[in-house]
Amino acid sequence: MASERELRVSVDIGGTFTDLVVEEADRLRLYKSPTVPDDPVRGILDVLSVAAAADGQSLTEFVARVGTFVHATTRGLNAVLTGNAARTAFLTTRGHPDVLLLREGGRRDPFDFTVPFPEPYVPRSLTFEVPGRILSTGEVLEPVDLDAVRALCARLAALEVEAVAVCLLWSTVNAAHELAVGAVLDEALPGVPYSLSHTLNPSLREYRRASSTAIDASLKPLMATYIGALTTKLREAGLTGRILMVTSMGGVVDVADAAAAPILTLNSGPSMAPVAGRAYARSDLGADDVIVADAGGTTYDVTLVRRGEIPSTRSAWVGDEGTGHLTGLPSIDVKSVGAGGGSIAWVDPGGLLHIGPQSAGSVPGPASYGRGGRRATVTDAALVLGYLDPDVFSGGALRLDTDAALAAVTADVAVPLGLDPVAAAHAVLDLTTEQMVRAIEEITLQQGIDPAGAVLVGGGGAAGLNAVAVAKRLGCAQLVVPAVGAALAAAGALMSDLTAVYNVTLPTLTTSFDPDRVNAALAGLQRQCREFVAHVGPGASEPSVTLFAEARYPQQIWELEVPLRVRSFLSDQDVHDFAADFHATHEEILGVTDPGSPVEAVSWGARVTVPLRRDTALRARLGDSAVPATRRAYVPGRGLVELPVRALSSVTAGEPIQGPVLIESPFTTVVVPDPSVCELAPSGSLVIRPVREPGRLQPTLIEVA
Amino acid sequence: MTMTAIRDGARLAVLSHRFEAIVRRMSNTLARSGRSGVLNTARDFSCCILAADGSVLMTGQSPPIHVMGGPDLQARSMLEFYPQVRAGDAFLHNSPYHGNTHAADHSVLIPVVDHDGRHRFTVLAKAHQADCGNSVPTTYLASARDVYEEGALIFPVVRAQRDYADCEDILRMCEMRIRVPDQWRGDYLAILGSARIGERALLRLADEVGWDTLDEFAAGWLDYGELRMEAAIRQLPAGTATTTTVHDPFPGVPDGIPVSVSVAVRPDEGTIEVDLRDNPDCVPSGLNLSEATSRTAALIGIFNSIDHTVPHNQGSFRRVRVLLRENCVVGIPRHPASCSVATTNLSNRVGNAVQRAMAEIGDGLGMAEVGSGMSPSEAVVSGIDRRDQHGPFVNQIFTGPNGGAGAPAADGWLTMSDLGSGGTLLLDSVEIDELKQPIVIHRRHIDPDTEGAGRFRGAPSLHVEYGPVGTHLEAVYANDGSINPMMGAGGGQPGAPSAQFKRDRDGELVALDICGPVTIQEGERLVARTSGGGGYGDPVSRDPHRVARDVREGWISRDRALAVYRVEVDDAGDVDPERTARLRAGVTIGAQS
Repeated sequence: MASERELRVSVDIGGTFTDLVVEEADRLRLYKSPTVPDDPVRGILDVLSVAAAADGQSLTEFVARVGTFVHATTRGLNAVLTGNAARTAFLTTRGHPDVLLLREGGRRDPFDFTVPFPEPYVPRSLTFEVPGRILSTGEVLEPVDLDAVRALCARLAALEVEAVAVCLLWSTVNAAHELAVGAVLDEALPGVPYSLSHTLNPSLREYRRASSTAIDASLKPLMATYIGALTTKLREAGLTGRILMVTSMGGVVDVADAAAAPILTLNSGPSMAPVAGRAYARSDLGADDVIVADAGGTTYDVTLVRRGEIPSTRSAWVGDEGTGHLTGLPSIDVKSVGAGGGSIAWVDPGGLLHIGPQSAGSVPGPASYGRGGRRATVTDAALVLGYLDPDVFSGGALRLDTDAALAAVTADVAVPLGLDPVAAAHAVLDLTTEQMVRAIEEITLQQGIDPAGAVLVGGGGAAGLNAVAVAKRLGCAQLVVPAVGAALAAAGALMSDLTAVYNVTLPTLTTSFDPDRVNAALAGLQRQCREFVAHVGPGASEPSVTLFAEARYPQQIWELEVPLRVRSFLSDQDVHDFAADFHATHEEILGVTDPGSPVEAVSWGARVTVPLRRDTALRARLGDSAVPATRRAYVPGRGLVELPVRALSSVTAGEPIQGPVLIESPFTTVVVPDPSVCELAPSGSLVIRPVREPGRLQPTLIEVA
Repeated sequence: MTMTAIRDGARLAVLSHRFEAIVRRMSNTLARSGRSGVLNTARDFSCCILAADGSVLMTGQSPPIHVMGGPDLQARSMLEFYPQVRAGDAFLHNSPYHGNTHAADHSVLIPVVDHDGRHRFTVLAKAHQADCGNSVPTTYLASARDVYEEGALIFPVVRAQRDYADCEDILRMCEMRIRVPDQWRGDYLAILGSARIGERALLRLADEVGWDTLDEFAAGWLDYGELRMEAAIRQLPAGTATTTTVHDPFPGVPDGIPVSVSVAVRPDEGTIEVDLRDNPDCVPSGLNLSEATSRTAALIGIFNSIDHTVPHNQGSFRRVRVLLRENCVVGIPRHPASCSVATTNLSNRVGNAVQRAMAEIGDGLGMAEVGSGMSPSEAVVSGIDRRDQHGPFVNQIFTGPNGGAGAPAADGWLTMSDLGSGGTLLLDSVEIDELKQPIVIHRRHIDPDTEGAGRFRGAPSLHVEYGPVGTHLEAVYANDGSINPMMGAGGGQPGAPSAQFKRDRDGELVALDICGPVTIQEGERLVARTSGGGGYGDPVSRDPHRVARDVREGWISRDRALAVYRVEVDDAGDVDPERTARLRAGVTIGAQS
């Protein structure tokens, strides 16, 4: 019975743990169970069983109550990173076999000649040239040679190719050649999945489009198998609710759509944190500009919310920037740096302190884990400073060795820097804070957001160590640490909507604007959105469609996204308004504007959203309410002092808590090293207002009132 | 090995992050708001922060030729002409006779002045222009006999803003002399905006931590650079080497230009000396190096040859003595010698010779030669765009870079472009180029068997063919490496020479001069093969599996694998270990003897 399916659940498979968040009547619960690497679906059923047991039910009884099951997986991403995707052929325009090899040029470190040139996503030996050429105007310079394509298919069969990617020049303007090649593939290689660039990613720049297409095609066999197994086993376990997959765009899609275009779910890992961050910033503080920092064991991921929207980028790389592979599709803009709890602190021969990029990860882990790690890490420094409770680290899953941490910090940092161990540990956290700030500044700069006017949301197990320091350094007036912060992504998945994005390339200048062609394109995009709405079925509230243009000044090469005020351009005033909106966006993001210049829209897009739940805040309280205690911990300017320790679950609504204080929840410790004031929000989040103090590099003694 | 460490390495680390962030912010602004392809597509620009005395502190991810041995000269020339700089000043500087690279690189210098009127730092943003007012539409005019024939407007430290307001007359002059003035104006605004953002960020940082802290940082950071460099040099073997190379014959230099460099590594002193004085006088050509590019080319050759984590600042530069001579083609030019092409051709020759000298001083050191020359694949193209309502266009396209050099531990970087850029330049998208200019790029791919063979091979040449659509096209280029290819090091072989042709309407190839301009009519194509990079080490010592992979992937032929690398690759693309072992041992096999 539908009325009994009152649960919504989300599952996030991490390297160590599979996280499950259960939503019931606007309350969230969090469960963890070990990930089963060779059978991830097994791990999912395990963690569902844990939740079922907590409710005193069988797995079947519990699963029958689930109306919506949201899932994020890194399976596709791992396949791309490890080169374990399908054996894929790449079909390209004749004369251009090296699109995937050359990428877009560039080199990160001009003086480092130890790094080899990166391999193409599809090897040259599986790259084939298709005779035929279309020009930028859509005109056919040379017809496509389908006999050659048929002959090629015979070779592909002989080479036992498992998937085919087709990306021809200018297919976004005239798709005839790609469609003709697709028809030959249907006929000559039945059952071999393929992707056509103009349907998957109709955008300018052949490398990006080709890379999207190659990655997508290569994931089709694998993801079809995985999704098939997942669906079958969940149904067998008794699930009748809807199964959804998280996308790189911070939305969800039906599991069947994810199998049809597997690249959509590729970067799903970090895409949900901003969805959760946006919800908490809004419900706790009514804020619309948000910086979301998710601090894990190995990386620190930063995402943003600008005026309630989560900005996307078309420059998302799988692997390292420049040497990995561009996904080419819009993806939540995320900046990751190696500043997690496991990042290693070291001093170079010139006496300069560094954090990372090497990480001790979870194996061997920080020295204090006692698993064979010997080098000093951020976690070790935090332990030396008294910020972590060695007995109840990560919900009590691990006991930390304080002596090992002290020894590592002393040997690796304190001695080479000529500092005492506590000052050295503080220097480590200070530099980590700086690296986090650098990551935040980089992405806020790219997206034109002033960090000082934004709310910082701290998630992830390691977030609490530096969050207050980071907020102060950025000048943020408010910091939110959600109660479910340790599983921010899984919580976000429950707050996300069904979404899709459609694009069409149609370069147009505002000074020679062709309203008929543009309006026809916009009408086509809106039709696609309506088809999506009909396809996914009704949501919890009305669907919404946003139209936008990707535009630039003529001669620029990077476009900015500008929302359209109108559904079609009916007058010169509409065009004028569009140009004005572009100038304003350019000013906001790049700091300059050229109001006298025409504006060139390169492509037009539509984003459709079908909400899956009513927009209400989700509440959570985790852990038992422990008795307040004290611990020796470090306060800048004062050294090690006896600091109060409070359990988050013991904090009551309306009770102001002034630092310095440590506030602990089962999965994280929030360090408040100064007189900043903390309060509990109705959602269960901790809201902190950092004190202002000038000259953080010249710490002054702070007297506690 | 022990060395003296700097004091307060924790605070220095934090502040160095802050300075890096400022440079990154400047670069980001410049890249994203610039208009011309050379600026925003190829990223031919740089940003840096200098101490008040002109010492280079932080350079970010810039093309090396821009930032190592020139910004300090520029900053000092600013103080020479304007001993009393004021807040709100901005100076336009493109003079190769006063520390700039070459006339097409427009620099903006902004003195960062505190509330008491004291000059504290200088920020510099520099970007290559699509046009700089030369007598013909190119920013690389190799045929110029002197600066007058070159024709560029020269700004030897000219105040372009005062009290944060434009000196409009300067901008009007530029708009009268620079082709596609709107594009120039857009780029100029981007450069100025970038420098102003750097200024503002430094002022804010000073508000937070105080000027004295920043001064201490500057001194400490340079000391740190010097300590790291000294330690790196002390680990090198002592030795000297002199290497020679020849730039191809060009207009004004019919016999080419021979270049000789002498390098002395002195680990006991922790110094390296590069002597460029034993070279010809300035030539009646645009090839002469500016003082900035002479110094920088030598520095690049050295820094390419040592631990890449040593910081690139005036502190580490202090450990390298570059000896230059007045009126020398690779030294200090005497006005009116033209330096139009100073950032590429002879710079690459000098830097390449230096890193090859380092390879002679010790195996496992130095590098082979990086591909060089401004091939037609990187030409400045111009004409009239007759599509829609477009008008005249002029832009440098970056369709095909030269190959990188084999190094002691890795093969050459495929999209290296040249030594001076360090591979940082981006490659144009075919679709973007065809949208921006009325051209079709018919082919772009690697050219097999063009790599400099070696234990670590050079990167191969690229083959590029393009022609106009509905119009004719003028292409200006200034290639090198067609006659004197890029040499290998330590037993490595040279890369393939570059080449240029016109493919006529019948498909026949007609050889072109190595130096443009050339006019391409509709239906014709310009065909370029770029320079292959030199190889490092004996090709017979190359890992046979790497050779087989190159065969499988179509980088080299089986014949070449056999003849040059002495590796037998079977039909499946795998190494035949027995035959390979015998070949490499010098045993003759059957018919292949």
